[in-house]
Amino acid sequence: MACVLLVMALVFHALTGNFLTPENLYNIAQQTAVVGIVSTAMALVIVARQIDLSVGSVLGLVGVLIAFLMYTKGWHWLPASLAGLAVALVVALYQGWLTAVLGVPSFVVTLGGLMSFRGAAFLVADGKTQPVSDATFLLFGGGLDGSLGPLWSWLLGLALSALLVWKVWALRRSAAVHGALIRPLALDLGLAAAAVAVLLGFVATMNAYVLADKGAGQGVPVPVLIWAGVVMSVSFLVRRTRFGRYVYAIGGNPEAARLAGIPVKRVLLQLFALLALLITVAAVVAVSRLNAGTNSLGTGMELYVIAAAVIGGVALSGGSGSVLGSVLGALVIQFLDSGLLLVDVAIGWRMVIIGQVLIVAVVFDVLYRRASGERLE
Amino acid sequence: MSRDMPIEALVALRGISKSFGGVRAVDDVSLNLYPGEVVALLGHNGAGKSTLMKLLAGAYPVDAGELRIAGRPVRISDPAAAQALGIETIHQTLALADNLDAVANLFLGREMRTRFGLLDEFGMERAAREVFKRLNPNFRNLAVPVRSLSGGQRQVVAISRAVHFNARVLIMDEPCAALGPQETQMVHDLVRRLKAQGVGIFLITHDMTDVFALSDRLAVMKNGRTVGVYRTGDLNEDQVLAMIIAGKQPAGIAQTVETT
Repeated sequence: MACVLLVMALVFHALTGNFLTPENLYNIAQQTAVVGIVSTAMALVIVARQIDLSVGSVLGLVGVLIAFLMYTKGWHWLPASLAGLAVALVVALYQGWLTAVLGVPSFVVTLGGLMSFRGAAFLVADGKTQPVSDATFLLFGGGLDGSLGPLWSWLLGLALSALLVWKVWALRRSAAVHGALIRPLALDLGLAAAAVAVLLGFVATMNAYVLADKGAGQGVPVPVLIWAGVVMSVSFLVRRTRFGRYVYAIGGNPEAARLAGIPVKRVLLQLFALLALLITVAAVVAVSRLNAGTNSLGTGMELYVIAAAVIGGVALSGGSGSVLGSVLGALVIQFLDSGLLLVDVAIGWRMVIIGQVLIVAVVFDVLYRRASGERLE
Repeated sequence: MSRDMPIEALVALRGISKSFGGVRAVDDVSLNLYPGEVVALLGHNGAGKSTLMKLLAGAYPVDAGELRIAGRPVRISDPAAAQALGIETIHQTLALADNLDAVANLFLGREMRTRFGLLDEFGMERAAREVFKRLNPNFRNLAVPVRSLSGGQRQVVAISRAVHFNARVLIMDEPCAALGPQETQMVHDLVRRLKAQGVGIFLITHDMTDVFALSDRLAVMKNGRTVGVYRTGDLNEDQVLAMIIAGKQPAGIAQTVETT
């Protein structure tokens, strides 16, 4: 998957000459964040054999509500965002209850939600655009001011690199203490080196983007920072907590999960709640990027979010896929979209191509699973 | 041993019934299980034996009747409640999460956790390795998804759940149906070992060899009702088959008492 990204970048750069520039990569990074944030949770929802088609509409509802509370009602951004979160959670509990407790397929529940919550987004402010001007709030969207700057970007990059190396070392040590299998040292070293190189390379690129009137480099944009925090948190949930394990168990075999004593309904409700939280985070970033909340915010986003998860290797039959895959999947879509735009491909053809790339990804997935002898449902 | 001894039943089922829609899958069944005893449950497919055991395992709620564990009336509302009472089940389908590895499946629903409440991967792996070594010294595939294991190895994973969590009551639903001779022998040895430790075992099977080799008593079901409950040693294979096929009780042989 990472190779696919690299090949795409090189091809687009060869075609246009300005794909691999700090400016373009900076923009791609922050444009991908909104979809990327939601698709980390969407990956888990699909792993658990569910789907949520209403994410774009709920994002629109929450986003316009936050903007409405700030602009029309004069609220501070923090209570406004918390109110948005509360609404997202109510929606999640309602749809989750229909799905997990009553057993209505989530496809149907959220297909209805796709329609209803888009309508609700219109109702919040009667369809009027709600501009947002709070300087602090606008930092969440990145843009020209919402980035860390060179110094903090380097410090963050180095701190994360150190954390990574320490994690690898600690894992090897406790594996040795417990007499578990230890991976070859060269493999661990190679993986750690590659990860650190990507991390520091990313920081260097973001710092290399210098605006003419600013003098200093931009550094890591805030939306990317939020996205990275979300990815690390959700990965932690998946790997280290019972919740994460149960999500995969439910996806692998729902009946076995139930018979093993897993509280399946509760886990699914928690999963929808996690998605609601991340939709709210993404809504804050999206509104801030636009400087406004509109009732059309997030239209069609469900397709990008689901496509990112699927291209990233999440199987729609459930039980397999990863959070990191959703990151790469989101980047693949954005690379494609931006690259084709730079090559001057018209919007119609862009949509045709991106749709077919999604199918190619799934075809590869099916062929790979068949070749590796996995049973297909 | 149960024979004529006034000891308390480990499991006492009294007038248990369960319907699905209009169909009475289990109809007024009473049956005891004593510590260290193997009771074979026999009958056609659809006779109600698997459903009866799933009621005990907490997979479905009971419609009517009383369930006592070691003399205490209990309500088993879900699988976790059954586990808490020391009832372990090896389902016919094995009930494994195919995408997870053997260790994760062993501890599924009852993971070991560190003092921070996180998964204790190393602790689980170590405990799992011990259990698997006891069951099958050749079992080494701890870290691959169980879908890539053989039928016998998958069976080992399913059985390990019962062994590790120290079952008081073990329900085995056709444990040897898909196994080769060597693995069948392993299951037989395990049943005898657990029996010697005082575990009570319900064994659902179609195999007469299993019945006569392992069980102390047998209960035959037909259309959701019990045809009869007998000591295995009092019957021969023809009499058992007559009960299963025709629902005919053998003449002149006393049933065991399942009502006290």
